[in-house]
Amino acid sequence: MSNTSRFVALVMVTLGLALAPAASAQDDTATRAAEIEAAQAQKAASLHPFEPGKAEEILNRVQNTLLSGGIKFHPFFDSAYAGGGFTLGAGYATRVSSYNVLDLRGSYTFSGYTRLEAAFFAPRLFKRRAVLNVVGGWRKATQVGFYGVGNENTSRHDRANYRFEQPYGVATIDIRPTRHLLLLRGGVDVARWNVGAGAGSAPSVDEVYTPDTLAGLGAHTTYVHAEGTVAVDSRPAAGYARRGGYYGVTFHDFHDPDGRYGFRQTDYEAIQHVPILRDTWVLSLHGALQLANAAADQTVPFFMLPSLGGGSSLRGFTSWRFRDMNSLLLQAEWRVLANRFLDMALVYDAGRVAAHRSDLTDAPLKSDYGLGLRFHGPIATPLRVEFVHGNEGLSLVFSSKAAF
Amino acid sequence: MTIRTRVGFVLLLAAAAAAAGAGAAANGRRFLSDDPLPREPESRDASGARPEDIGLLYELSYNLFVTASKASTNTRAGNVNTIDEVPDSGWYTNRLLPARPALADLVRGPNTGSPPNPERWTIIREKSSGYSPGFTAKDADGQTWFLSFDTPGWEEGATGAMVVASKIFWALGYNQVETFITRVVPSHLVIDPGATVKRPNGKRTPMRQDDVDAVLERCARGADGSYRAAAGRLLSGSVLGPFRYDGTRPDDPNDIVPHQHRRELRALRVFGAWTNLSDLKAGNTLDTLVDAGGRKVVRHYLQDVGSTFGIGAQGPREWDDGFEYFYEGDETLKRLATFGFALSPWQTARYQVYPATGRVEAEAFDPLTWKPHTPTLAYIELQPDDAFWAARRVAAFDDDVVRALVHTGEFSDMRAEAHLAATIIARRDKVVRAYLPAVNPIVNPRLETSGAGAELNFDNAAVWTNAAPPPAGYHAAWFEFDNASGQTRPLGETSGAGLALVAPSALPSSPGAIVQVNVAADASAPHAWQKPVHLFFRRTTGGWTLVGLDRGDR
Repeated sequence: MSNTSRFVALVMVTLGLALAPAASAQDDTATRAAEIEAAQAQKAASLHPFEPGKAEEILNRVQNTLLSGGIKFHPFFDSAYAGGGFTLGAGYATRVSSYNVLDLRGSYTFSGYTRLEAAFFAPRLFKRRAVLNVVGGWRKATQVGFYGVGNENTSRHDRANYRFEQPYGVATIDIRPTRHLLLLRGGVDVARWNVGAGAGSAPSVDEVYTPDTLAGLGAHTTYVHAEGTVAVDSRPAAGYARRGGYYGVTFHDFHDPDGRYGFRQTDYEAIQHVPILRDTWVLSLHGALQLANAAADQTVPFFMLPSLGGGSSLRGFTSWRFRDMNSLLLQAEWRVLANRFLDMALVYDAGRVAAHRSDLTDAPLKSDYGLGLRFHGPIATPLRVEFVHGNEGLSLVFSSKAAF
Repeated sequence: MTIRTRVGFVLLLAAAAAAAGAGAAANGRRFLSDDPLPREPESRDASGARPEDIGLLYELSYNLFVTASKASTNTRAGNVNTIDEVPDSGWYTNRLLPARPALADLVRGPNTGSPPNPERWTIIREKSSGYSPGFTAKDADGQTWFLSFDTPGWEEGATGAMVVASKIFWALGYNQVETFITRVVPSHLVIDPGATVKRPNGKRTPMRQDDVDAVLERCARGADGSYRAAAGRLLSGSVLGPFRYDGTRPDDPNDIVPHQHRRELRALRVFGAWTNLSDLKAGNTLDTLVDAGGRKVVRHYLQDVGSTFGIGAQGPREWDDGFEYFYEGDETLKRLATFGFALSPWQTARYQVYPATGRVEAEAFDPLTWKPHTPTLAYIELQPDDAFWAARRVAAFDDDVVRALVHTGEFSDMRAEAHLAATIIARRDKVVRAYLPAVNPIVNPRLETSGAGAELNFDNAAVWTNAAPPPAGYHAAWFEFDNASGQTRPLGETSGAGLALVAPSALPSSPGAIVQVNVAADASAPHAWQKPVHLFFRRTTGGWTLVGLDRGDR
């Protein structure tokens, strides 16, 4: 029986119910209880299980899929390398045990940046104190910008492009010994850098520079990279936070087995979120300092220099706009919490790069400002859109991550 | 319109005619011999009812983006009897009115059995509902309980709220789970060999000690290493899942009034405001199938009323809790347009915060603008007479009752207990002031013979609770009412300054005769009080019996 005919039948039954007692109960013995019982008897003749509507059925299916771990295909918006442009990608994640996940994923950009990788994620090691990530893959970036080294002596018009292809393997482990605050991170990765001529409208680096003027030009080198982090992290979640902070230092050792491009780097990072008037606003502050040191008789290749520019650092400047041995980034956001899922933010970034760390604050910082919206959940920011203006123009930022 | 709402609408037509008693009954008579009905019949066997769930994603989305934009249909509640009261039913039991139970009975509340024996807890499965950490476990006596704990930093808050709220909502008339404060000592916890946990990969695997540790790490631990818990007893009968705040169960023959038109469900807007029960989702309700007189009937529970006062399952309430839905487009645009500088009341409300009570206050609280996380259709359909009915029950909690019920939360900080009680009392007063004067508040009408004549006596609920000053006088228009035709014959008009009005001398005296009295306050009173309450009294051998009360047109 269709819904419509069932509806009509019910109308008739119910009207019958309403009229039936009239002929037989014109006396004072009629009772309200009997009328209700008659209505219940009529309904008893047409009982049926609950049938959800289409919208409910679809949303229930979505919910069940999300909760049951049955969702396997997922979007993947991480580009092969920053500056690749709008990214399309997908992954296939499957649980290989109760909690561990194996994710096969890939992404592609219209400028040809390609990334293919397999990731293993184990979130409950050492009695839920540690999270292990192991990733192996291959990526290609076709037109990474290089604008020269330094701040004042570079221009956005000096852009040259390079490309690289890279097989890589990474393993990192995050340990929270006390489950709270203290964060220890260790990692090792092996990556092969095959750097070559860039594509795109800008000239290729090998047309502008020579190996003598640009360290690392045409390099084919393998890095064995080890890193260690000690941090205090009081944020509820790194992907979205309104309170708490992160204060950490990370030591990197980039070892070149060929003894040409080895270096060490120290990253200092501080984040603090200050809620104001019951989360009406949040003042978010971020500072990051990167200090690189070449190993003895070796040089830091241009493509590994600390850099600024792009959607998560100096947002009003293109990705990789400034590179040098040291970098300083200062960011502030005044966030307006419009509702539980949407924030608006006024953003301000400042920073510079320098050959010597003492030069980082000797000259004016490059800066930008802008306005953005973030759609977020309790622990993640799946969409961040920002319009940011620097002295080199206006940038539109789309990101699937929080800025910091 | 889905088939479910069509069924509800059609049955509403029948229910409006047959059950509500607001107009003529099906046989043409307005009042039948058993009016006013004291209990809603459950005449049919409901054993065919099957478990049904409501997806949270659907419910939240629908209520936030569809229900929230709906307007009330201005429909009188469908399950009230002819004197505008809610009969007892599988949903509701009149407990506070007309006669308040003894304080000891209110303090005992739904707890008819003995408390759990905490000497040994055997975990049989994970906690299946709600966000607070917990387990399902058998106590040392083999009784099954749902254990939920407090959040670190907010000791005694969630558990205390759960117990106190269960007593309040039981007294208000709702079916409640027996809930006790108990303690769980980790060394007394064992895992049943058959206990399993649903893993993220969707599979159930045996529960391990690490699973227990993972739960307890999220709980407030006492100085002695034990954990304070709220233990809710397993309900009898088979579980059918949550009920909906709209439509009817299509598999329950006794469920003929659409839920959005059930007064006790509409009234949760008032009771929810009073207690800050903001989590009104269906997932916090439960239908069970139980034996009743040789057949199966459905019992409807407000299963989880723990999200009340100032603490939720995960600590203190969000700042906007009780002030805004999870999402409101207008508020969002206002904040975006003003960079947040157009402040809402929740941003300036002042709180006295204790770990055991969280964020609950009465100063910024406005019962008329209070909001749950998401609206329900029953919430939207609340009418002034529903709110009046609810506010009378809120008013029945005098200060001593409130303090006694709050004391059952077993708070160790007396300042927190006093603060919670004082806040509930202050919110009660606001609820009473908001809703009792909003309609003509005449209650408890009695038509009493005195000598050769008769006198109408009544109370004014708003005046009696000091929610409003008394009017200068009242006026009554008297009629003889023909129950078969609905025709009236004027008998006269009387007026007076107090809560008693002399009846005209010509009242009918034959058994079964009905008089209609339209009573209103005079022009000194608020406008709503000048709209008459229609009272109907039937002549019996013992005098006059109230058979009808209607507070006026929609």
